[in-house]
Amino acid sequence: MVLGLALESVVEPSKHRRPSLWSQLFGDPIRAFGSLSLLLLLSLAIAPSKDHFSQWRHYQNSYLKMIRGRGDAVTLRRHFQAGIQQIWIPELGVVDRCTTCHVGVKEAGLTDVSLQPFRRHPVMPHDIEQFGCVICHRGQGAATTVEEAHMSTLAWEEPMLPARYLESSCGQCHRAPLTGTPQLNEGRRLMARYGCAHCHTVKLPEGGSLEAEDDAPSLSHIAEKTTREWIYAWVKDPQAYAATARMPNFKLSDEEARDISAFLIANSTPISGDTFSLPTAAQNTPSDPTAGASLYGESFCATCHAVQNAAGNVVGGDIGPELTRIGNKVRPEWLAAWIKNPRVYDPLTAMPHYRFSDAQVAVLTGYLQTKSDSEFLANVHLDPRTPEQVAHGKLLCTEYGCASCHEISGIKKAENFAPELTRIGSKPISQLIFAAGMPHTLPAYISGKLRQPRAFAAGLKMPQYNFTAAQIDAITTALLSLNERAQTLPARLSEPLSPASNYQPAGRAGQLMNDLACFSCHRINGRGSDLAPDLTWEGSVVQGKWLEEFLRNPNTLRPALIRRMPKFNLTADEIATLSDYIMTVYQTPSFDRESMPNSGYPAVLVEEGRQLFYSKYACQSCHIVDPKADKGYIGPTLTEVGSRLNATWVYHWLKDPQALRPGTIEPNRNLTEEDARALTAFLMSQKESARQETRK
Amino acid sequence: MVTSANYFDQLRKSRVWRSIFRSGTGASTLHRSLVIQQDVFLHLFPTKVRRRMLNIGVTWYLGTLTFGTFMILVSTGILLMLYYHPSVPQAYSDTKDLQFVVTSGLFLRNLHRWSAHAMVFLVFAHMFRVFYRGAYRPPREFNWIIGVILLLITLLLSYTGYLLPWDQLAFWAITVGSNIASAVPLIGNKIHFLLLGGNFVNANALLRFYVLHCMILPLAAMVFIAIHFWRIRKDGGLYSHSSQPPAISDRSAPKEDR
Repeated sequence: MVLGLALESVVEPSKHRRPSLWSQLFGDPIRAFGSLSLLLLLSLAIAPSKDHFSQWRHYQNSYLKMIRGRGDAVTLRRHFQAGIQQIWIPELGVVDRCTTCHVGVKEAGLTDVSLQPFRRHPVMPHDIEQFGCVICHRGQGAATTVEEAHMSTLAWEEPMLPARYLESSCGQCHRAPLTGTPQLNEGRRLMARYGCAHCHTVKLPEGGSLEAEDDAPSLSHIAEKTTREWIYAWVKDPQAYAATARMPNFKLSDEEARDISAFLIANSTPISGDTFSLPTAAQNTPSDPTAGASLYGESFCATCHAVQNAAGNVVGGDIGPELTRIGNKVRPEWLAAWIKNPRVYDPLTAMPHYRFSDAQVAVLTGYLQTKSDSEFLANVHLDPRTPEQVAHGKLLCTEYGCASCHEISGIKKAENFAPELTRIGSKPISQLIFAAGMPHTLPAYISGKLRQPRAFAAGLKMPQYNFTAAQIDAITTALLSLNERAQTLPARLSEPLSPASNYQPAGRAGQLMNDLACFSCHRINGRGSDLAPDLTWEGSVVQGKWLEEFLRNPNTLRPALIRRMPKFNLTADEIATLSDYIMTVYQTPSFDRESMPNSGYPAVLVEEGRQLFYSKYACQSCHIVDPKADKGYIGPTLTEVGSRLNATWVYHWLKDPQALRPGTIEPNRNLTEEDARALTAFLMSQKESARQETRK
Repeated sequence: MVTSANYFDQLRKSRVWRSIFRSGTGASTLHRSLVIQQDVFLHLFPTKVRRRMLNIGVTWYLGTLTFGTFMILVSTGILLMLYYHPSVPQAYSDTKDLQFVVTSGLFLRNLHRWSAHAMVFLVFAHMFRVFYRGAYRPPREFNWIIGVILLLITLLLSYTGYLLPWDQLAFWAITVGSNIASAVPLIGNKIHFLLLGGNFVNANALLRFYVLHCMILPLAAMVFIAIHFWRIRKDGGLYSHSSQPPAISDRSAPKEDR
């Protein structure tokens, strides 16, 4: 009303002597008012027109245009739904409107379309309707504009995940390794291997924390093992000593390395019990110069230990430390005692207690002593240590968190030494401090930290690792999977890692198995490594007599594989203990191993089995029964299978191999009862003695 | 002996009381009818307006513009309320929905937000004009007080509306703001608790701020705006240098009434 009056007043012809302020500013009042109203109307029209010309409408229209000429246009047109589409999963807090523009995501027929946003989604194990898009791809699902949905904007920090880290999203739910996620699996393996969890706490959603799998040696008796000069050179640059060394480079100054080495030597205590029974044995030069090398080979040291060859390639396993310059490192008397029985120095070592004779210990020690580099410690000259150096060294060891990985008497393992990484994969960008010049994204931050941790600021403690670009991507992937969603996932969707087994065999056999470090290669009841066959049901698999013979003199079963099982020089008593225990305890509950005889099958049945083996099932494509004729190199050799395996096992194995050993590549041929029985009879007739007889 | 009735009579005769309730006490029927006739709802608008007073130079229309932004805020606010749930799990996603899927929802939000900014600016401009022109002087001193109350309501409306998007900005702004309230001596923590319905900004605070923002404060603003308008008329219309009522003006020469 007031406005109306105001209007009235300006409409009336002005009788003022001087023009009003209004007409001074806007000229003719009526025209000014008219054009202002028009302007207002136009500006108000912006809102609905912006809505009409929105991005998603544009994309839907171009999709319709694109499918118009196609052969399957009718089907596609029928599937197409106009308007904003959304996938709503309240349980996961997902409101994804991605399919509003990505119209063809579920169209299997759009194989030839590579134009985004219309490309179809590659084949994947999950249904889009069940999981939505942002669970894996991140970004802002609720948004309906490209920038808001894909990028990091003012009100949304989490941009889309670059494709090369996509596997991290699988890891939010799946915490056990998956066949489809090699990069994630590798990242997790590296995290365990390089002991990230020693310093950084990573809480698992199912409770407990991530465990490191590396086994950094105790430094409480280090003076027994090596010299101060070596420690100095090692802590300065571990990779200069061994290219594959897992210890990172702390970029210590000369003084810091000097003081740390002084402290570690001063802090070392002699080990309890006699360990150096062979101090002079190492001096006995073996008569045969190649004896050491052949003993090293025969004992399969290279399964665990690597050595750099002349060409610069590191050859061998990565379970134990690299031995390229071992002669520079260890004292000969310590090495001899270690080879004699490593469990005296380190009761939990993964190295088996080989039953070497004193002569063999001397030969091997002498051989390993020759693996040294005369220039390695040539320039290290340290003055005798002073109490100040020792005190400063202790301070440094505390500050750098040496005790997080190593046991050092007098220094406690620090709790929460480094930032917790439980939710690192969803850390808001606003909480990150980026180094100069790097892109402001979370993956860039994490990989930057892995590449050059000290580049972010002065005084940071995280040491320098020597990861390759692929390793950094893998670890970044693994770290990105540790995020808020993984922590708050409904229990229904979580696929937790089965807890590590702490299975321990009992009695004297158990002690013996620890002594021989069986679990370093074999897995039993979920504990151990998968380098060698799983022995959980071994008592039902093999015959006791064969097992005893194998322990006495191991031989390979598969022609395509290198034998790895070392000869431990076990005594007859030890062999009996082990094989008794294995045969008695490690039996499968799914069948009685005595239910079928291991020999004495009628010749007719054996012959029928032979026919089935060679013609109907063509087993010789993978297995060898007759070494002269058969060429199968994929499966184990079956020449002496009748002496090795238990008949009941063979029968059940033939019926359903995957039931006995999940994941085995032996195909399930759906044998009939009769066929399986005949094949068992044929296989059980392949006996060691029988062969020897025919040979005669 | 002075009774409480006497005290009340004295209070009603005091200058403060008389500046608020102009009609005063009276026993006659005429007086009683005057009290009713001078009631605010019958007198929101003036009986007459001088055309000269409607020139832009007199008021710059600042009060009218402020009222205009208030009306925009009420209408857009009602439309926004159709889409918004004042609950922790939904508040933020509702604002996102307004941005992304509600037709012209972003326009609504932006209009509401910019009108709120404009209203605060206009209220201040209005008050500066009143202050520097001296329009707060008697008999308009009570209307100045009403104006100050309206300023406070405007600021409180802005403050309570700040929490409703339920984002980080909202959360921390209200956390800081409510902590300022707890600095009041003795009862500071009580005020803080009363404001938030708890010790932290949480679901209760969101609900309280929603009720304040959409119900209590707008109603209060409407009541005081009505009184404000009514008092313009009662105080002799819009103020300008030359529109002083003869009874108060030094220069009591009659002006040409246009």
